Order: sequence, then C-alpha cells, then structure tokens
Amino acid sequence: MSRSKGFVFVEMAIALPLLAVLMFGLALVSAKLFEQSTDQLADYVLDEEAHYLLERIVQQARAAKEIEAYNSSNSVKFVYRASEDSAYALTVDDVWETQYYLAHQKSDTLAINLYAKRQRDGIFLNPITGDNFFGLTSLVNLEFREPKENSNVLHITLEMKSLVTDRHIKLTTAVYMPACDKDKKSGLNS
Amino acid sequence: MKKFLHDRRGFALFNTVILTLITSLAAMILLNAVPRVKNPQATLKLTALYVAEEQFAHLESMAASGSLDAGSYSFQGAPEDLTTENAGEGVPVKFTVDTQISLGGVNLRRVTVKVTWQFGGEDFELKSERMMRVVPK
Repeated sequence: MSRSKGFVFVEMAIALPLLAVLMFGLALVSAKLFEQSTDQLADYVLDEEAHYLLERIVQQARAAKEIEAYNSSNSVKFVYRASEDSAYALTVDDVWETQYYLAHQKSDTLAINLYAKRQRDGIFLNPITGDNFFGLTSLVNLEFREPKENSNVLHITLEMKSLVTDRHIKLTTAVYMPACDKDKKSGLNS
Repeated sequence: MKKFLHDRRGFALFNTVILTLITSLAAMILLNAVPRVKNPQATLKLTALYVAEEQFAHLESMAASGSLDAGSYSFQGAPEDLTTENAGEGVPVKFTVDTQISLGGVNLRRVTVKVTWQFGGEDFELKSERMMRVVPK
C-alpha cells in the first residue's frame, strides 16, 4: 500500500510539471492561431474594400463627361449621363447625374472613409468603405492624373491601410474615358 | 503485489486517456492552422489585374486616335506601376507585361495582355483579351 502511494506521488511529481509545460505551449499556440486568423480576416477586408472602391470609381470614370479631382483631400467629382426618371420623357438628352466621392474622418474614429454623395455639401451618410465588423480600414491616398494630355486616359492611384494589422495595399490602374470633354477636366496633376 | 499491480494498471489507463486527449487537442489545433498559412497571391493577382487594365486603357486611347497597329507592344502605363509591395514585409514584386495585337477585322483588333510575375520561386501569369475598334483617321 505504502509502495503504491510512493509510486503515485513520484509519478505525479514528474507528470504535473510536464503537463503544465505542455498545456502552456498549447495555450500559446492557440492564442497565436486566433491572432493569425483575426489578422487574415482584417487583411481580406482590406483587399475587398480596395477592390470594390477602385472598381466603383473606374466604372463611374468610364462613363464620365466631366471630372474634377481634389487630390489633396482624396476626393473626386464625376458628372455622367443618366436616364430620365420619368415615364413621359421621350428623350434622354442633357440629363446629367453628379457623383462625388469624398474622404471624411468622423471625430470618434481613426478611420478615414470614402463616402458616395450626390452633392458636395450635406451629411455624410453613405460610407462605401469602413464599418466592417472583421476589421477597420482607412483611406491613405486617392489620386487622379492624366498621364498624357488630351489622351482621355485617367490614371488612378489608391492606397488603403488596415487599422488592425497596419498592412497597406496600393493599387494603380488607368481607365479610358471616351465621353469626357477635353475642357471639362480639372485637378488632374499631369 | 496484487494491489500494486491493480493500482498501476489503473494509473496507466488514466495516464493514457489524458495523453490521448492532449495529443488529439494539439493535432486539432495544428490541423486548423494549415489553411491559414499566409498567402499573398490573391492580392498580387488583384494588383496584376489592374496593371492589365492600365495597359488596356492606354491601348483604347490609341485605338480611338486611329494608331493601333498589329504587333507587340511594351507597357504603355507608368513604369513605377510595374513594381508592387502588396505581398507584404517590404518585398517588391515585379510585373512583366507582354501585349500582342492581331487583326480581328478591318477596323478591329484582338488585344491580348499577359501579366507575369514571380513569387516564392514560382511563376504566375494573368492573361486578358479584349476586342478594340480602331477609329479610322
């Protein structure tokens, strides 16, 4: 009986520290894995938001008749042709729609989001980036220029960062604007 | 002796159960990690897609001015756009853009843009094709 107790004590004295070390290692690995998955979700959100934002701007630019870029404030204004919202309209000539993309930072957050608006003034209601549960992003740079004068090619640079991982993504592209009037382009740093 | 052997067998069983539990827990956690290995390919592919779009935009502008002949073309966009650090950790990745234009009709051109890059010792490519109408001068 006494031998049996002795054996259990020695066994436990060896096994318990080993178990503690093993469990501590497992806890560390688990924490690291959870952190990694959180980061990857945040990076995925960053990629998706940059993709969506650039695609939306490219589509709008392609149809634009006029463009006004405000590169210093990461904002842009497009004027493009739209259809008349009336059952009685027989012509769609001279029907123009305005679309602003304005960068704005709310006072209670570090994130700079891009807002889609039909007017420059008024309340910022429709953010097209940010407010994602899996990771906040911030706009770093949105720049427009025309590389060759009167080529109607608009070069766009978009840089965003994740406020979770601090990772940056920079996408550059160009879009041809066949309908853009030559004298209706402003703010494009050549 | 009989009692000792009995206790020992009981302890060995308990020990094995605990060990099996810990091992299976570790295996579950590690297996869970396998698909989460960081892979920037999706981001590089997205960047390459927009580099190809940049080339298409310049070629469309040339087609609109009536100067898009068949043949091979170099990258018409900004040269700095061919290098990206989107793979992370400050590692630059360089894109190569290869453009082939063939006749698709009297005023039509078949434009093929191939963007290639290397990452982690492997080659990747993204190929896009578009028809363009050349506006007669």
